[in-house]
Amino acid sequence: MKFKRFAAVVATVATSALVLTGCAGGAKDVVAGSSITVGWNQGFYSANGATSNGNATANNNILYLANSGFNHYNDKQELVKDTQFGSYQLVSKDPLTVKYTVNSGVTWSDGAAVDAADMLLAWAANSCNFNNVSPEYDADGNVSNQAALDAGVFFDSVNCGSDTSLVTKTPEISDGGRSITLVYDKPVVDWELDFAIGVSAAVTVQHAFPNDKLDAAAAKAKLIKAIQEKDNATLAPIAKFWSTGYDFENMPTDKTLVTSNGAYVISDLVKDQYVTLTARKEYAWGPSPKIEKITVRTIPDPLTAVQALQNGEVAAISPQATADILTALNAIASKGIKTLSTSDATYEHIDLVMNNGGPFDPKTYGGDADKAKAVRQAFLKTIPRSEIVDKLIKPINPNAAVDNSQTILPGAPGYDAMAKANGSDAYASVDIAGAKALLATAGVSSVKVKFLFGCANTRRQNEYALIQASAAQAGFDVVNSCSDTWGSDLGSGVYDASVFGWQSTSTAVSASKATFASDGGNNFTGYANATVDADYNALSTEFDSAKQLALLTDVEKQLWSDAYGVTVFQFPGVTAYDGKKISGIVPAPLAPMFFWNFWDWKQEGAIVKG
Amino acid sequence: MLNFLIRRLGASALVLFAATYFMYLLTAYSGDPLEDLRTSTARNKAELIQHRIDIMQLNVPPYLRYFLWLGGVLKVFIGQIDLGKNINGQDVVSLLASAMGTTLQLVTMATLLAILLGVITGISTALRQYSAFDYTVTFASFLFFSLPVFWVAVLLKQYLAIGFNDFLAAPSIPLWLIIVLPIVSVVIWVGIVGGDKRRKLIVASISFGATLASMLILNLTNWFASPSLGPIVGGLLGVSLALFTTMVSTGLANKRARNAALVTVGIGLVLWYPFQLISMQLTGILVALLAVLTGVVGYFVGWFMGGEDKGPVARTAMISAILMGGIIAVDRFMQAWKPYFESNYISGRPFATVGASTPNLLGSFWVLGVDQFTHILLPTMALMLIGFAGYTRYSRASLLEVMNQDFIRTARAKGLNERTVVMRHAFRNAMIPLTTLVAFDFAGIIGGAVITERVFGWSGMGSLFVTSLAHVDVNPVMGFFIVTGTTAVIFNLVADLVYSLLDPRIRVS
Repeated sequence: MKFKRFAAVVATVATSALVLTGCAGGAKDVVAGSSITVGWNQGFYSANGATSNGNATANNNILYLANSGFNHYNDKQELVKDTQFGSYQLVSKDPLTVKYTVNSGVTWSDGAAVDAADMLLAWAANSCNFNNVSPEYDADGNVSNQAALDAGVFFDSVNCGSDTSLVTKTPEISDGGRSITLVYDKPVVDWELDFAIGVSAAVTVQHAFPNDKLDAAAAKAKLIKAIQEKDNATLAPIAKFWSTGYDFENMPTDKTLVTSNGAYVISDLVKDQYVTLTARKEYAWGPSPKIEKITVRTIPDPLTAVQALQNGEVAAISPQATADILTALNAIASKGIKTLSTSDATYEHIDLVMNNGGPFDPKTYGGDADKAKAVRQAFLKTIPRSEIVDKLIKPINPNAAVDNSQTILPGAPGYDAMAKANGSDAYASVDIAGAKALLATAGVSSVKVKFLFGCANTRRQNEYALIQASAAQAGFDVVNSCSDTWGSDLGSGVYDASVFGWQSTSTAVSASKATFASDGGNNFTGYANATVDADYNALSTEFDSAKQLALLTDVEKQLWSDAYGVTVFQFPGVTAYDGKKISGIVPAPLAPMFFWNFWDWKQEGAIVKG
Repeated sequence: MLNFLIRRLGASALVLFAATYFMYLLTAYSGDPLEDLRTSTARNKAELIQHRIDIMQLNVPPYLRYFLWLGGVLKVFIGQIDLGKNINGQDVVSLLASAMGTTLQLVTMATLLAILLGVITGISTALRQYSAFDYTVTFASFLFFSLPVFWVAVLLKQYLAIGFNDFLAAPSIPLWLIIVLPIVSVVIWVGIVGGDKRRKLIVASISFGATLASMLILNLTNWFASPSLGPIVGGLLGVSLALFTTMVSTGLANKRARNAALVTVGIGLVLWYPFQLISMQLTGILVALLAVLTGVVGYFVGWFMGGEDKGPVARTAMISAILMGGIIAVDRFMQAWKPYFESNYISGRPFATVGASTPNLLGSFWVLGVDQFTHILLPTMALMLIGFAGYTRYSRASLLEVMNQDFIRTARAKGLNERTVVMRHAFRNAMIPLTTLVAFDFAGIIGGAVITERVFGWSGMGSLFVTSLAHVDVNPVMGFFIVTGTTAVIFNLVADLVYSLLDPRIRVS
């Protein structure tokens, strides 16, 4: 039968990719021919996630699959060291000196070794210490001083101003070119979260000087020499390529741009459609993945993602969590779809402003700080935290609980101890009688509280309504001061209380300093407490994690007893996967979210082999 | 004429200027582009905020920033248009180019189909005015017109993609459908054909029998698992399409036209197997060339068989040749279905709910064509329903109006048959008012379909607009607006010019 023969030919061609990959082996546990597709809400657009343009979850998730690092976060927000890739050790606390070593045998996908040159480039770029010119922009966001910029050095890093900037001395290379030693100008307690290798130094230099036709070794040597001699003329094109050369939305014809040093390498990329990564055969410096090809499809709309999951087009998704999405996911539970309700790393909190002449400001009471504090305590006692969680969050995340810490996310190491010790139990439940008594003692009646939140945010509208009703019972008149520009209103003093979420991207112990220290950049409330400031100062030179926790606990005790404000809940998250197709999906609150344990992912069901 | 053009273009430029200014202000004041950074706890938050203020020029108030943006746009006259960059530092011009490509791919087919089917349905309802068929179509088109597209899209995905994929796992038409579908087909065909009781009875029994038989055959041969037409069904289809084409084009009484059309079907059948041999080597361009060649061959067949009436016969033969070619191509696509269906990338669920293609799928032109089809089918249907309803109503009303005019009575009075009256005299004139509608719709194509694109995960112009608006990212929003605004203005002008061309009673100046 002719038709059958043609059909067979078509079939062969259609699955030719599989046939080819099936013949090739993979890293030791990789199942030949296995492939899985997962969904994410934004497309990949830059292979350098450390630039200010490229720093987005959509890129960093993919780069996490492609690149190894010295450490990563697990689902319990613990920082896990990747010792098979490399190691780092605290050489000295004063001056803070850290030595990073990449293990021998760790290679880029183009065959070059991962070594000190790559780390040196990461330092030079992310410290921003070589930048001697900064771009000026016209109205369209285009650089208007391109000529000057081309002549000078400008690494457009998202990490400018972060801890790596404090390493001003050029790091020394040791261990036969596999180690560098960073010496910080002043102590940095969160140094461990700060340093990562991004793109390949050799590839960057080769592209910066395309006419020189350098091999990997020569390119690295050129980079090291330029950095050590602070040779700006050589660094200028390197910085330029580092900043923009890795931005692409479709598979580049020049495959060196996707050079990676981890378990996978990008093998196909179609703008706003999908990115496919293929397991590297030589990868042996970390847990071996089991799946040969991982495709991440771009699906911006949450309900579309759910239907794609139901239709088998993707095997795992993490859409924006709403009650509707959870309903849709639960409706298909019988088809083998597993839904995991989780908490994200953003937490909702209510702050009281203490420097605006409002009801919570001592100035209102002639400088009587105790009176202002009593009013604050009374107001916080009326906030129905459990009711907010029960009514607004539990429908989306049945496991949700009230958040009881201002500095540590629930579930993170140290949270339980913190919640017990910090005095948050004073506001565990609504206490109208207690609030009335406090107001009576303070001699204050009919307090008007201007309450700020984003008008467009329905959830916060509902929170306001619940708080308003509860506080009214104690004599508070909570006024709706919602604003579409609430973000820029923060710290302006036009409101007395506010509700919004802080996004955490790490477990940095010093991150909360900006919020609670009297001179902190995120201190929108005018809160000033000498003990808190002293604790943060002590914390900035304290490297022992137990002592760090003790200091943070002390900070929180001050915050809760000063009636600074209350935390309410973590934003709900949801991850769903098709149990018939994939196993091993474990959501995590911090980046790279559910990608964190990709090596545990396993394809379920039949795998067509070539 | 020139005067008119210059005046219109000048006015359009002013309209665009005012519109872009308002749009710029509305977008810029619609929210806070720094909102996500303000709630960040990153340790270098100040630097991040400063960087965004720098790249977006947020320190210049929007009412002045517009003119800086306009400066970039006006560079179009020196050939270096500059629409700026988006919040991620990507160039807006290239974003627009790729979004436009996706949108054209998605919307063009839907618009063409909506026009074609809408006009056909509108005309058939006008010819059967106040029949049950007419009332049913009127009801249906108002229903379609009022359906919210996001809802239709989600339902289509639920039932036509997910539901139909489930059906394909064990493809056998359920009993209730075997009973209901023939009845539906009777209602439709009797409505369209009309006539006296006897004729209605004949039409009813034929359509009932044919539908029932084909469903049973589909079930018995397990057709859905490996669909194909084969030369016999294909040939029958070709003959009926050839006869239908002849009927509409010249009337069946024209024997030369009928024979020429049938000859092209015969040629198609002769080439059926040879085509299978070369089909694996074909690419998109070659298939397009082949389609053109088919038309040319058909035209010449008609030309040589046409006798003294070459033009209409050649036209008829060409159309039926292309239709026959279409049947052969559809059959070839159907043969690619089974390997596609069984491929690891599809794993038995061919109809897609998201995206424009299956990631990583490799294959022949035919397999990839099937993949395109399974991805574009649902969004096309969702988009079509709405446009279809409009075209049905407009073409019905327009044809009814023309049919009541004096020149139609004159045409009938001089003894022309009904086909010639309708097709040659009424239909052409009825289409004139529709040109305006078509022009507007084509301008709308570029704007994309905001909701449909989002629901089906296509990243075209519509999603570019929505995503950028959500981030208060002014430059891409304005890029979108410039493109859609300009095309709207241009097509408006084109509509006026075409109108005057088609209807000699109208002068543009």
